[in-house]
Amino acid sequence: MKRPRLYLQLLTYAALVMAAAVVLYPVLLVVKKAFEPGRQFALSASPIPTTLTTEHFADLFGARGGHGELLFLHHAWNSLVAAIFTTIVGVSLSCTAAYALSRMRFPGQKAGLITFLVVQMFPATLLIMPLYVLLDRLGLLNSMVGLVLVYATTAIPFCVWTLKGYFDSLPRELEEAARMDGAGAWQTFWRVMLPLARPGIAVTALFSFMTAWNEFIMASTFLTDDSRYTLPVLIQSSVGQYSSDWGFFAAGAIVTSLPVMALFYVLQKFLVGGLTAGSVKG
Amino acid sequence: MTRATPPHTGAQLRDWTVASLFALVVALAVFVGHRNHALRARQLELADRAAAEIALGRPPIAEAEAAGIVGAPHPSATHPFLHPRTVTGPTGTRPLGGPTAPAVDKLLYDAAERYDARGPFVELASDGSGRAIAARPGTGGVAVAVIATESPEGMPWLIILGALGLGAVIAAAGALIGGAARPLGLAIGGALLAIPANGWGGMGATISIVCASLAVTIASGRGTLARAFAGFRTHRVAIAFLAPASIAMFVLVATPFCVGLVLGFFDHQHGQWSFVGLSNFGEILSGGGRAFDDPLNFWFILGVTVVWTAANVFLHVTIGVALAMLLRQAWLPGKGVWRMLLILPWAIPNYITALIWKGMFQGEYGAINALLHAAGLDGVSWFSSWATAFSANVVTNTWLGFPFMMVVAIGALESVPRDFYEAAVVDGATPWQRFIHITLPHLKPALGPAVVLGSIWTFNMFNVIYLVSAGKPGGSTDILVTDAYRWAFERGERYGMAAAYGAIIFLVLLLWTVFGSRIGRREDKS
Repeated sequence: MKRPRLYLQLLTYAALVMAAAVVLYPVLLVVKKAFEPGRQFALSASPIPTTLTTEHFADLFGARGGHGELLFLHHAWNSLVAAIFTTIVGVSLSCTAAYALSRMRFPGQKAGLITFLVVQMFPATLLIMPLYVLLDRLGLLNSMVGLVLVYATTAIPFCVWTLKGYFDSLPRELEEAARMDGAGAWQTFWRVMLPLARPGIAVTALFSFMTAWNEFIMASTFLTDDSRYTLPVLIQSSVGQYSSDWGFFAAGAIVTSLPVMALFYVLQKFLVGGLTAGSVKG
Repeated sequence: MTRATPPHTGAQLRDWTVASLFALVVALAVFVGHRNHALRARQLELADRAAAEIALGRPPIAEAEAAGIVGAPHPSATHPFLHPRTVTGPTGTRPLGGPTAPAVDKLLYDAAERYDARGPFVELASDGSGRAIAARPGTGGVAVAVIATESPEGMPWLIILGALGLGAVIAAAGALIGGAARPLGLAIGGALLAIPANGWGGMGATISIVCASLAVTIASGRGTLARAFAGFRTHRVAIAFLAPASIAMFVLVATPFCVGLVLGFFDHQHGQWSFVGLSNFGEILSGGGRAFDDPLNFWFILGVTVVWTAANVFLHVTIGVALAMLLRQAWLPGKGVWRMLLILPWAIPNYITALIWKGMFQGEYGAINALLHAAGLDGVSWFSSWATAFSANVVTNTWLGFPFMMVVAIGALESVPRDFYEAAVVDGATPWQRFIHITLPHLKPALGPAVVLGSIWTFNMFNVIYLVSAGKPGGSTDILVTDAYRWAFERGERYGMAAAYGAIIFLVLLLWTVFGSRIGRREDKS
């Protein structure tokens, strides 16, 4: 392995350091704001705080809503409920379909695959208005049931495609052995394939959890009663049109996104494979 | 299997079930519609009558939830900016509202306000509670009556079950007699629910049930149904496995999608729907008579969206590939650390990224202007001109989007055998030639789909536009999805326009997906 000339090495380092600086700068600003007193950004470009305080975090965890409830915990609970139920609905409804699309042969299979792919690729934002009208009719605005149903429109096709990709990667031998031993289709699926697919299911579940946890615009449209807000809506409303408290925002942003960022780093190698595998085959 | 086996009684009943299921759905739907309509008419009539009684000075009728003469607003003694009203009912005169007042006071107050503005009216409360409200002139104020929601009458299960049972008997009898009685029995048995449906919903429901029954009879005679059922039996395992996700998708995606398409042909203003045919589409595609550079002109927004998508995808791919090339150099230590650092923007939820950048671009306190000041330059008011606001959006989206392309490019570059480069160096190829002839062909298969996917994401990158520039100045930096959203939720609930926009966006995306994957495929072959 030959090293290139010194000036090329220096150029590489310079470019990487610059890219890293651009990536880190906004993040450091938020960290700074979270630990620096005051509601507004200080008029300084430095990402290093001069005085430290934990008042924004105290504010975040101590703020109480109209009914005396702890605001942040209340909304965190809403977010958690929406994300967990979305994950359960998405994964449980998708497993069998993903297996069928991966292993069985039937007329209309290709069309089915393409439908799931297109629905997964196209954004749910396109459906936001008809969903609003329908939920309004059904009286499901401002309700967790409505929000979970809306999130399921994205979660189900995503889970079907990701799990199908995982089933594709499993060897067929075990299935054939189970068939030889007299297991039916359902038993083969339930006793053999599903246990084998556990890692794939876990990754899929975590991704749909993250997607629901991070969703903003649907929640902000369908939840108008502020006691129903999820965390993204709470955080966005802290820097809304009329009053903004960037300290509250920064503290909230850090507490809300740290867990999902950690999750992302653990899972990121699976994500790229799944996303591109789906589109290459389509 | 190819020749239709002669149907026996079981097959006859099976075909009858198909026809009856459809009839049942139609009959239930028209019943619910009919019931709600009748209920509404009754509520409105009661409200009108109650208001009339009040206006004449008589006590309100028993069905009224609240009623009385609402007096004119007068400035409050303690708080002159408040204008309370009083209500005079059978129990005397009292002020509207206050800590101990019933919640329905708000409806009385609003009805009086509305009467003052627009005259007498009778209608259902717009809060969806099902209450009917009437207001008309009375002595000494406005006569207002509110009628509480009535619980609707129950489902006519007895009639439905009776019709279904009788239909099954007729169909079975036709099969037992055989010959011409068989199709006759099926047609009559299947259409029996049309009789009660006629009473609830009129001609439309009746005709559709009869037609469906005839269609089932014909299909049954030709053996189409038998073949379809045989197909179901052959693939019953696959169908059962697909059912949960497919049904959910049908209910959750197909239904709103179709509703969206249909709503595109309606106009929605002040809570009222009216059929307008293609006029929403006409208004959008003709630009609505606005100048081309008007931010509400569809073609202007489409132009902004295309420029937005092209600029972002170009920057994502260029920066992503450039960093991937830097990171694949064999001598570079700590590749994993650099990679982890550079994908940080992907890990942050994108609404948070958008809000951070919104804060950084703020005029007074923003970090970007602080950086400019530190460099001895003047601050820029980022959201007051199109070019700077658009750039702010692009910078934000580039920041959050390049890691995806970088990771895809790193993966693709791993597949390039290093011998290729060594051979090329030996043959005297310049770095540029090596990039064009070795690197690029290996990047294409993975980057092609990633570009299609990335362009769809960017085309619909709602959060960045909505949260960073919020369309400023004057809606000119909106893209198609944010503009459709504003039609629905920020410009007086013009749901029809929003739906038409949604349909057009869907078509554009579909064309682009088909077209984009074609290009990708052709390049793979060459």
